Amino acid sequence: MINFLNTYGFLIVSMLFGAVLGLSVYLPLMAGQLSLATPGFYALGGYIAAILSTQVFKFTGTIFPFPFLLIELLITTLVSAILAIALGIPVLRLRGIYLAISTIAFVEILRVLALNLEITGGAVGIFGIPQPFATPLEYLWVAIPLLILSMLFLYRLEKIKAGRAFSAIREDELAADSMGINPTYYKALSFTLGAILAGLVGTISAHFINTWNARQGTFDSSIIYLAFVLIGGSRTFWGPVLGGIILTALPEVLRGMGGMSSLPLWLAQFLRDGRLIIFGVLLVLGSIFYPQGLITPELLNKIARKNPFRGILNKQSIKG
Amino acid sequence: MDLNLFLQLFLNGLSIGSVYAIFALGYTLVFSILGVINFAHGAIFTLGAYFTYTLSGGVFGFNGLLANGKLPFQLPFFVALILGSILAGLASILLERLAFKPLRVRRADPLLTLVSSLGAAVVIVNVIQYLVGAEIYTFPDNIYGNIPAAINFGTETRPIMIRTVQVIIFGVCAVIVALLTYLVNGTKIGKALQAVAEDETTASLLGINPEQFITITFFVSGLLAGLAGTLVGSSVSIAGPYFGISFGLKGLGVIVLGGLGSIPGAVIGGLLLGLAEAFVPPDFSGYREAISFAILFIMLLVRPEGLLGRKRIQKV
Repeated sequence: MINFLNTYGFLIVSMLFGAVLGLSVYLPLMAGQLSLATPGFYALGGYIAAILSTQVFKFTGTIFPFPFLLIELLITTLVSAILAIALGIPVLRLRGIYLAISTIAFVEILRVLALNLEITGGAVGIFGIPQPFATPLEYLWVAIPLLILSMLFLYRLEKIKAGRAFSAIREDELAADSMGINPTYYKALSFTLGAILAGLVGTISAHFINTWNARQGTFDSSIIYLAFVLIGGSRTFWGPVLGGIILTALPEVLRGMGGMSSLPLWLAQFLRDGRLIIFGVLLVLGSIFYPQGLITPELLNKIARKNPFRGILNKQSIKG
Repeated sequence: MDLNLFLQLFLNGLSIGSVYAIFALGYTLVFSILGVINFAHGAIFTLGAYFTYTLSGGVFGFNGLLANGKLPFQLPFFVALILGSILAGLASILLERLAFKPLRVRRADPLLTLVSSLGAAVVIVNVIQYLVGAEIYTFPDNIYGNIPAAINFGTETRPIMIRTVQVIIFGVCAVIVALLTYLVNGTKIGKALQAVAEDETTASLLGINPEQFITITFFVSGLLAGLAGTLVGSSVSIAGPYFGISFGLKGLGVIVLGGLGSIPGAVIGGLLLGLAEAFVPPDFSGYREAISFAILFIMLLVRPEGLLGRKRIQKV
């Protein structure tokens, strides 16, 4: 077991990060806003960690002090929130595809800035980011609490006034507006919460993968994170969590399957080199045959009826 | 800036801008009919470049499944260009059948169509990589025959040198735009196309078969993407399977600038973006890539319907 965990430590932690990134796309979607800005904030969080840990905190030693990491997370939260509010208020006036396009533009502008500025290390990026943990697996000490806290937060959010306002705006913005819900405020709120989550994952990831460059937040990743939500399910927060976990693991699982010796040679080679082809096919099939995603509120209800732990899942039915 | 330098940059800008324009035309055609953005358009662009490369006698690299292979025959470049673009058009029809139509029949959320077209793009790009490898492919130098490499528009002492390829690109684009404008505004097919774009249900009541026109639209759109891909590929080189992705994103900038769904808008947007890029000072050339996005961003905030677009009325 320990051996297994050590071998797959990197993948397991990445899967949890994937789940949180899925939630980051899901948050604005709760209020009906399709934002593809997640990779931008992810990259930003990573740069904050990379720059602070290599240039500002002058520490000597092998293990990066944990309190420094917490300070970085705090700074990321503040910076992401300020940027998200500044960006969100003008951009969120746009609807549907226009909002999606403008957030793509935001991500690309950040990427070009990162490629050209000196402080971000230009095209080469920043290397040798100190590690707060000795092995990849130990990052679970941060990844698990981050995922659980964000899930609890979303679980709670769906019940309180803000969450209900989100769904109201999602269903019909004009009607929500006329009921006295301020759409701009709640749209900006959902966008900002999503941005903060993405920034936090980026900050930890920069330490986790030890190096950070402009390839970390690109258009490709926008799509992959969106797929986490749409394939996993966009009507309950369980969807993006599951989608993030499965889709992060999928290419690696396919790679592993390609290494099995019992397979015919051509199939093994295809599984190894054609993993992304399979990933793309799944995106197409998923959107055609599972338009609601794998996890829907109805499915949760069905499970809840048979499940002794009714409490957690059952409340979803109110939204169904 | 002296006049000669200005003219030089202006012509460079027109040449690259005209490629942006035909690329964006295909984007905007599909948007005007279906109201969705086809994110696989950049992948079709790449595919077109590879088709023409293969047909004109190019040899595959040593990394893919088809390593070191080539066709048993070799076509003259211009024949290969036309055939390659037609193949890209057919690929685009196939794309529509597999990734768009099933969703349209189910009346799915446009967001899902977006994801499905992205999935298709991932498939196309990776199939190319799987088959022919990820390396850069260069068209042979003499594809355009014996015409000189550059044309001088200036005087002997103060030359304004333009590569012949750029002039050809501009010429081809001008012809395409003229033909397409005629097709849309001057023919029966074009009128029917406009009718489908305006209101699919009413059009079908008037005896127009929307499916047929959606197929035509995807064919023309793929044809234009393939043509643009080959032209860019022959003027620089085919920079691997991911060649079209950045074009796809820039194309978004172009169509938002011109107005989503507007054909003259795509042309004007393409030319403007090409010119804007050409006039970026060399010191800031690293930021050139961000120009289209900066323009797009400002445009969306100031006038989301674009230069020539119409405001979409929000129904309550």
